Amino acid sequence: MHYPWWYVPHATAPMLIAAISVVHVLVSHYAVGGGFFLAVETGHAYRTGNRDYLGYLRRHARFFILLTVAFGAITGVGIWWTIGLASPLATEVLIRTFVFGWAMEWVFFVVEIAAAFIFYYYWGRLAQKTHLTIGWIYALAAWISLVLITGITAFMLNPGGWIESRSFWVGFLNPQFVPQVIARTGGALLLTSLYVYLHASLSIKDASLRNLVASRSARPALLGAVMITMGGALWHYFLPASAKAILALAAPLNILMALIFALTAVVFVLLYLGPYRNPGWLSPGFAAALLLFGLAAFSTGEFIREAVRKPYIVYNVVLGNQILPDEVRAMRASGYLESGTWTRAYVAERDPQLVVGGKIDEKRLLALPKEDQIELGHVLFQYHCNDCHAARGGYSAAGRLLQGRPPAMIRSLVEHLELSHFFMPPWAGTPEEAELITEYLASIAPPRPEGMAPDLNANVEASDLTPVTTAAEAK
Amino acid sequence: MDAHMLVETTVPSGLPAPLWFVEFFKVLGFALHAAPMNLWYAGLVLAMLLQVRGGEHGRRFGSRLMTQMPVIVAFGINLGVVPLLFVQVAYPKLFYPATILMAWPWMAVIALLIPAYYGMYLYSFGLREGGTMSPLPRGAGWCAAVLFIVIGFLFANGFSLMVNVADWKGIWQGSNMAGAALGTGLNTADPTLWPRWLLMFGLALMTTAAWVVVDTAWFGRRESDSYQRWAPGFAWKLFSVGLAWFAVAGSWYAFATWPEGVSDAMFRGPLVVLTAATALAPGLPWLLLLLAWRRDAPISRPAAALVGVAQFAVLGINAVSRQIVQNIEITGYFPDYFRLADKLKAVQWSPLVVFLLVFVGGMAVVVWMIAQAMKASPELSE
Repeated sequence: MHYPWWYVPHATAPMLIAAISVVHVLVSHYAVGGGFFLAVETGHAYRTGNRDYLGYLRRHARFFILLTVAFGAITGVGIWWTIGLASPLATEVLIRTFVFGWAMEWVFFVVEIAAAFIFYYYWGRLAQKTHLTIGWIYALAAWISLVLITGITAFMLNPGGWIESRSFWVGFLNPQFVPQVIARTGGALLLTSLYVYLHASLSIKDASLRNLVASRSARPALLGAVMITMGGALWHYFLPASAKAILALAAPLNILMALIFALTAVVFVLLYLGPYRNPGWLSPGFAAALLLFGLAAFSTGEFIREAVRKPYIVYNVVLGNQILPDEVRAMRASGYLESGTWTRAYVAERDPQLVVGGKIDEKRLLALPKEDQIELGHVLFQYHCNDCHAARGGYSAAGRLLQGRPPAMIRSLVEHLELSHFFMPPWAGTPEEAELITEYLASIAPPRPEGMAPDLNANVEASDLTPVTTAAEAK
Repeated sequence: MDAHMLVETTVPSGLPAPLWFVEFFKVLGFALHAAPMNLWYAGLVLAMLLQVRGGEHGRRFGSRLMTQMPVIVAFGINLGVVPLLFVQVAYPKLFYPATILMAWPWMAVIALLIPAYYGMYLYSFGLREGGTMSPLPRGAGWCAAVLFIVIGFLFANGFSLMVNVADWKGIWQGSNMAGAALGTGLNTADPTLWPRWLLMFGLALMTTAAWVVVDTAWFGRRESDSYQRWAPGFAWKLFSVGLAWFAVAGSWYAFATWPEGVSDAMFRGPLVVLTAATALAPGLPWLLLLLAWRRDAPISRPAAALVGVAQFAVLGINAVSRQIVQNIEITGYFPDYFRLADKLKAVQWSPLVVFLLVFVGGMAVVVWMIAQAMKASPELSE
């Protein structure tokens, strides 16, 4: 563990990344699709000489800038903030691997911002052709920024041949790249139409103009839904085996997968029956329901995308608990507390008697008083487990997950984490440290709920279930 | 506990570019970010004050600045990504622990930025509607001004804590649960924090003053003759206030808070030239503004551009000095930091070249778009 761990009560620090990311993608996809919408529709309005439609598009451009340039940009920076705080090692690896990918994305952001402001503030003051060209520059720059960031986020799920080659381009053009670009481009088109519908339904009084907006945006939305389905199927095909297994195994993800299919289907049907076949249906209530369904489907998809990476932050490169897979063997030999910069410093300060010759003497750990063992077990929990588990209560709380388990079973689970649950990282400490964390976990796990029949273990001592030996005892 | 104990020295991957390249873009990015950032940092509160006690022309300048502010803030935030990116490439072992120790205040930057941004927009829209501004946009403008100054304080905390490794232990011990940081620390015990924060405000006042003449000459030619004559004098006075502020805060920072190693390096040997240049550089835009004011005529476009370039040079020299001081501070803790970083580099040449091409191409497109905007008709065609 190279960095200090940030303890966020109940939620766990990585959940903050998830929260901000979900909010951000709901706006950032609109920032991409909205560019195409404004460029295509402004061109159509110019060609047909539809001044009312042009007026609406100008108002929409203002709404678009207010939402995407301000809120979208800040939440994007917010993701940077949170990944550095909650996943510092993974962020370090990603930034050093893809710094030029991010730097290129930044250039396209500059182009986007300049284009967006000139497109809006100089509306009616530029020649139509120039105005449209700038609209298209925005749309293309925004889409390229989507492509660039997708290369990096897709890498996190399946880095492909990068593990061997360490090549920027091999990592960027990973197996997940094309599927996710297709799905995200489709998502951008679909989500944009849903934003447009809500905005138009609230701001356009004239029924014929509202119908025009409804019918013009229906085809891109339906195309987007098809692209999401195609990209999603390819995404699933190119998932690593572990990610497919998690999808098949985890009940919450089963439910979420069913939910995402149901929501996408509902959105598709509503789009077909509503704006495509019956543009007149576009009322604020209908548009709000459509957008809510769309946002729910999107959020669910993003959550699933994050969840299937377990136990990694970057597949096979950085484990969720901020250690490198290559470090696990050495940490098992020298100890988790000794191997972590901040855990070692904590122990040296709190229990200097444990440090012999500048290193933590693992054999002395179990000689500590019980409460000190539990405290060091708590340290191990914070650094080894808190990335995915709250302690007593909260997100995936370890105490609740272990409720009723006797210490021997907890100990066995700790030492065989990756074998009992393949989506968990392997235990990266010594047997003595496994005992410390077991003490801590047993102290926070509530007892088995009373009154459950049949109570087959009523008279069995917990230690009877599995023999427990430390390495020191074994020797 | 030794400060070294809290800094991991091994790295999972090497630098993707030569260290000089990373530091060059970090410094360039910071200077580019500082220009618009200065305009909202000091300009926003100045515009609010001018609305209350600015006289006719002062209020007019405040209105002009606040109308431009949405664009200024958008570009300023965007340009801030560059130094943030390269600081993480160059010093992850220092940047991440420091920000984790103050994680909640650091996260507050994002939480405060959203209301500050929309507060500024509300005020800007209030101006566009004309007439007397209602209390809501006026209050929103004041809130935004205060929030941006608070955000500046949090930034100063984060970046000063990054090189104040000696205080990490105390902050961590005062705010942890079983060794995990609670993220509630701040670097307020660091004597460099306060002058650094105040120094930036002085620079921001000077940049805002330079913007007064740049805006008037390049974008405000349709303002009254009286306004155009007023601008250079106001700019010079504002610049003088900023310069005095900069001199006091800078002297406090350099003479009272620099550790011995930094003082030795910056006041003796070849770096004394850089220190002197940093202190004296604001003299050039100040002098140019004085000359413009004494002419008692609207400032010409070339003269205004010269003031702008001179002030950008002031920001650039400050950014270079800050980088040198930062490197000396880091080497004070870890003498081998830069040698090791450079030794471990694994340069990604083809992505680097593609980035440079994209950078040049992207800037060309931006310049073309701005040129189209400058040529645009002043009146709406519909």
